[in-house]
Amino acid sequence: MKKMKLILMGIALLSLSQTSNIFAQTGKEIAFKVYNRPTAKDGESDMKMTLINKKGGKRIRNIHQFYKDYGKVEKKILFFKSPADVKNTSFMNWSYDDANKDDDQWLYLPALKKVKRISSSSKDNEFMGSDFTYADMEKRHPDEDVHKLLKSENLNGEDCWVVEAVPVDDDDMYSKKVAWISKSKLLPMKMDYYDEDGELLKILTINKIQKVGKYWVITDETMHNIQKNHKTNILISNMKVDQGLSDSKFTQRAMRKGL
Amino acid sequence: MKKITEFVIKNSILIVITTIILTIISLYSIKQNVYIETDLDKYMPEDHPAFKYSDKAEEMFDIRDAIMIAIENKKGIYNYTTLKKIKSLTKELQKLDEIEDKDDILSLYTADNIIANEEGLEIERFFKKVPKTKEKLENLRKNVRNNEMIYRRLVSEDETASVIMAKIKDNSFSDSLYNEINSLASKYSGDGDKIYVAGQPIVEGMMGSLMPKDMQKMFPLVLLLILIVLFITLRSVKGTIITLLVVLISTVWTFGLMLFLGYPIYAITTLIPVMLIAIGVADGIHLYNHIMLQHHNNPDISKRNLIRDMIKEMWVPVMMTSVTTAIGFLSLLSSEVYPIKYFAVFTGLGVMFAMLLSLIFIPAMINIFGLSKIKAKKSGEQEFFKKHAKDFTDLVINHRKIWITLTVIVLLIFGYGISKVWINSSFLARFPSSNPIVETDKFVNDKFAGTTTINVILEGNKKDEFKDPVVLSLMDKMAKDIDVKYKEVGGSLSVNDFIKRMNKVLNEDRQKMYKIPDNKNLIAQYFLLYEMSGGSDRLWEVVDENFKTANLRFQLKTDNSKTLNSLIKSIESYKPEFKKLGVDLNFAGGGYKLLVFSDLILEGQIRSLFFSFIIVIILLSIMFKSIKTGLIGVIPITITTIISFGVLGLFNIPLETTTALISSIAIGIGIDYAVHFIDRYKKNALNTGDKYITVIKTMEHSGRAIAFNAVVVILGFLVLIFSEFKPNIALGAIVSLNMLTSFIGTVTIMLIIMYSTNLYFNKNK
Repeated sequence: MKKMKLILMGIALLSLSQTSNIFAQTGKEIAFKVYNRPTAKDGESDMKMTLINKKGGKRIRNIHQFYKDYGKVEKKILFFKSPADVKNTSFMNWSYDDANKDDDQWLYLPALKKVKRISSSSKDNEFMGSDFTYADMEKRHPDEDVHKLLKSENLNGEDCWVVEAVPVDDDDMYSKKVAWISKSKLLPMKMDYYDEDGELLKILTINKIQKVGKYWVITDETMHNIQKNHKTNILISNMKVDQGLSDSKFTQRAMRKGL
Repeated sequence: MKKITEFVIKNSILIVITTIILTIISLYSIKQNVYIETDLDKYMPEDHPAFKYSDKAEEMFDIRDAIMIAIENKKGIYNYTTLKKIKSLTKELQKLDEIEDKDDILSLYTADNIIANEEGLEIERFFKKVPKTKEKLENLRKNVRNNEMIYRRLVSEDETASVIMAKIKDNSFSDSLYNEINSLASKYSGDGDKIYVAGQPIVEGMMGSLMPKDMQKMFPLVLLLILIVLFITLRSVKGTIITLLVVLISTVWTFGLMLFLGYPIYAITTLIPVMLIAIGVADGIHLYNHIMLQHHNNPDISKRNLIRDMIKEMWVPVMMTSVTTAIGFLSLLSSEVYPIKYFAVFTGLGVMFAMLLSLIFIPAMINIFGLSKIKAKKSGEQEFFKKHAKDFTDLVINHRKIWITLTVIVLLIFGYGISKVWINSSFLARFPSSNPIVETDKFVNDKFAGTTTINVILEGNKKDEFKDPVVLSLMDKMAKDIDVKYKEVGGSLSVNDFIKRMNKVLNEDRQKMYKIPDNKNLIAQYFLLYEMSGGSDRLWEVVDENFKTANLRFQLKTDNSKTLNSLIKSIESYKPEFKKLGVDLNFAGGGYKLLVFSDLILEGQIRSLFFSFIIVIILLSIMFKSIKTGLIGVIPITITTIISFGVLGLFNIPLETTTALISSIAIGIGIDYAVHFIDRYKKNALNTGDKYITVIKTMEHSGRAIAFNAVVVILGFLVLIFSEFKPNIALGAIVSLNMLTSFIGTVTIMLIIMYSTNLYFNKNK
């Protein structure tokens, strides 16, 4: 009798482990799913960036942005609408799929009437003094990290995978990232960033995801640097996608021309 | 008092045991609660407007004094080993617990180099990997030379030294941090590199620990010398020990109570034992002087009767002197500085303890242990004193005009000296020139912009004020003018340096573009470019994110108050011009706070000096029931105070917090001499009715005791002249000097005035 019980248990255990092998996702698979999810070929929107310092002081920038995905390169152009003293300043970024190739970026200063190239020697630099680094705002190829599915969890009514990503490159500015990824939308709902010393550095909170055309898009997100107690909120509105934006929109000429 | 004395005589053993128990409890309390506060910020009155403003600005711009670690290589720093050391040292410093943020270490390794290539702006580090090849080293050198924000600031003009600035967390300086940094320094010395550690946190930290340490070393010596001299004068082992015990026990009680009540030991309160010794031995000396004179004159009187007589004759002056002294100290309560208030209250309390012990513990001890036997030799000695007391008295009262003239001349000279007194809140000036701090500070000041910082906070009334070329140009003009006017100013840093640097590099690196452009939008766009190019947060140390408030930082090669005050005045002269543009001008930072703080202390000190004069006059008038006596009684302390300050002026010794505080001792001691003398004079006057005999007898009795007292304390405190720490030297010298002048003032000019005005003889005539 005893033997029988053990065998039965063994079978049960075996089948259980097999089913999990069949249905469970690995961290890597999830990362690829997110990376390969359908996204718009091009788009434009208003962007309101609010920087909040530790005393609660706010700096607001209103921007209109265009972007277009060329497959191997993604081009983006930003026009400042306010504050007044930087109105018509524009910024263009070409980000390459090839991880070894640095971004190209330019800034047009209307007061100087010159386009200036900005070095992108480091993607770890913060974008416009915000709490987002350039790297934070770009797509990252899953092979750059080792992913591990920690668990599944419900976050604010959204069924999520919790995936840990540890960079392959030892020199990465983060030692680890943990993302809560919506199973249905394949977008992060929340992300924790850990610094070189393994201490929690930043928390990204997604406040709103909207359907624009056929895509899920993050339209309200806040990055909180908890070590500096500095926050950046990005609010996207009036978004239009897949309009077939012309290539001439993404040139230095367009930068000078303004909106 | 009679009843108390009888109680004391009956219960001597009980009293001694109670005293011992209380002392043991106090010692236990000290052991349990001892805590030394070395943080200078704890001294500052937080609610003072200047401090409030400064604190706000300090938070806004993250203003903190930096520890400066300079590395020197006589052959030049542009070699692999030295640069490698700068990098490693920076990294090791970043790991210290006292460092909050890696950005708080500014060195050639972490500094931003704002440059432009053909196409645009680049903000990058001078080097990440330490350059090895000649070409790369030369390139680095060129980059530094071309950067006005770095050259002469982080790298010396002659390129033989580079400095690392470490901003430590607030109030985190400790001996162990200092040791850690020093051991880092010695680790990286060698191969032709020499490391120097300087900066305000080091100086302040050393100050905080050196003064009590020096006191711990010197205090036993003072005690020992007082013990010896006390023995020589009293000629009694018992008397010497008991007198000293009174002082020590009252000190222990005071500290026990102070710590029990939760007040930490501040640098200032370490002066309490000094004060209590200088003041407290007087009670014992006067009591012993009296009882031994009586014993000598009437060898047949019993011990108990001698005690009764001693207390009956002496309790009034002992109590009067103690009360006046304690109240003199309480006048310091008007100070705005809390540790000074604590100092005042607990010194006053200690004086009261000493009085209590003198009137109860001393008789109890004499009752138990008896008096020293009068040796035959001593008898001759008594005659000797008698004779000299008479000679001296004759010398004084027969040449009254000469004495008065002399006094007037002395007062005129020293009164003139007072006008020369100057205040110095410099910390560095308090260290002996042999102290390593002085040497390293001098090195860093010689090679770089300076170790002292004054922050000028300019506050506009609207956003983006500091993108306005008009405002910026005025700021630039002021910075330049001040830099030219003061050779002590090694440089300044402000938002203008960022603007000028960007304007230059974005205009093909042309030197003539190193200026403020006159286009507000352009300036705004430069800053956008700066932020987009990954410019560091160091910008926010000179301007706030809204560009409404700016911090103009002057670096000085000295922390001398004369220079600082003059500099502040010069800067303030720009106030109206800024006001016209709607910009307020204020100051902030540790250096400025210290200056204000010292002024506060001195102001309070001088105010309390006046208070105590008035209080003492009133008290004496009440005690002796005569305003005239009250006024005569303050003569010695007036002379003492004038000479005390006059000496500072004449010998060019700056007045600083300790020296100023010590001057209150002048009143405490001087008034004691006068009270004893007047009290005895009054008693003798009523007993004898003869002015000449009264004077002689007073001189024999009180004059002698005062002389003993003066000699004991003067010799004891002169030991402090061998101290390492300048304020302690000053302390020793001033206490000794005050003792001497109070003594001479009492037995000469005060006596002459009493004699000439027929004090206590008016009714007889």
